[in-house]
Amino acid sequence: MLIPHPLLGLRDAQEFVYLGDASLLNRPDGMAEGAAEAFGDYVYLRDNPAGVHRELWFHEQGDRSWLVVTRDTTTHEILGAELARDVALAAKGGAA
Amino acid sequence: MSDLKPITALGGAVSRAQSFGALSIVENSGLALASLALRDGMTPPIPMGLTLPGPGGWTTGGDVAAFWTGPGQWMIEAEGKAEEDFAAALAAQVPGGFVTEQTDGWVAFEISSAAGEGPIRRLMEKVVNVDVAGFAPGCATRTGLEHMSVFLIRRAEDRLAIIGMRTLAASLWHALETAATRLQDHPAA
Repeated sequence: MLIPHPLLGLRDAQEFVYLGDASLLNRPDGMAEGAAEAFGDYVYLRDNPAGVHRELWFHEQGDRSWLVVTRDTTTHEILGAELARDVALAAKGGAA
Repeated sequence: MSDLKPITALGGAVSRAQSFGALSIVENSGLALASLALRDGMTPPIPMGLTLPGPGGWTTGGDVAAFWTGPGQWMIEAEGKAEEDFAAALAAQVPGGFVTEQTDGWVAFEISSAAGEGPIRRLMEKVVNVDVAGFAPGCATRTGLEHMSVFLIRRAEDRLAIIGMRTLAASLWHALETAATRLQDHPAA
């Protein structure tokens, strides 16, 4: 499987480490009301879709960047990859 | 003080060098390394007259060279300066940047071919899983080689440098020696 790294082009999936659902980027505020429940959901609850899934991959034997890879779990087709940093900054409303 | 004897990454008194037909592999003990990281939004400096390369690139300017290691990060190489405080010299050139001495963490093997790019390409095809045809002179990347993390630098058509973890120097040498020996025994196989 080849992952289209946004900076380095197609790279072998063996260079990467898989972390899981990209929703892990949305870490709840630990100081807010109901933080315990929010963290319970954050740590333990995941969607398990048959189809398009956004997930985190770490380019460990590479440039050490985190990517958000969009993958179809039924066909393993990779639909896109972005730097997780850009995704997180865009979610915060900053200029990515 | 007792008499201390410096040794190379492979444990020898002098750098190891060996030829395998057209290919030769030389341990480069003189190469000084320092990493450079910049803050977000910093204008890339031009340390020692060196233009820092973009992703996947390597640039050289005489005795110093640089390759990209990650967003906003580079490794700077200085030939023959392993016994000097190269990191301090570099830090003085990049105010506001973060410089870390790296020389003692790595081993560098310089591979050269006496028969053009063919043997270099065949060796790469055997040991690393990167796009060899696209790995032209001026390219540098980090990848896996027998489960070890290494930097590859294509210094020229007929020259490739492999920089790996110093503690694994002997394993890396063994991997390269084995592959190069097979290429010598079975040329163009």
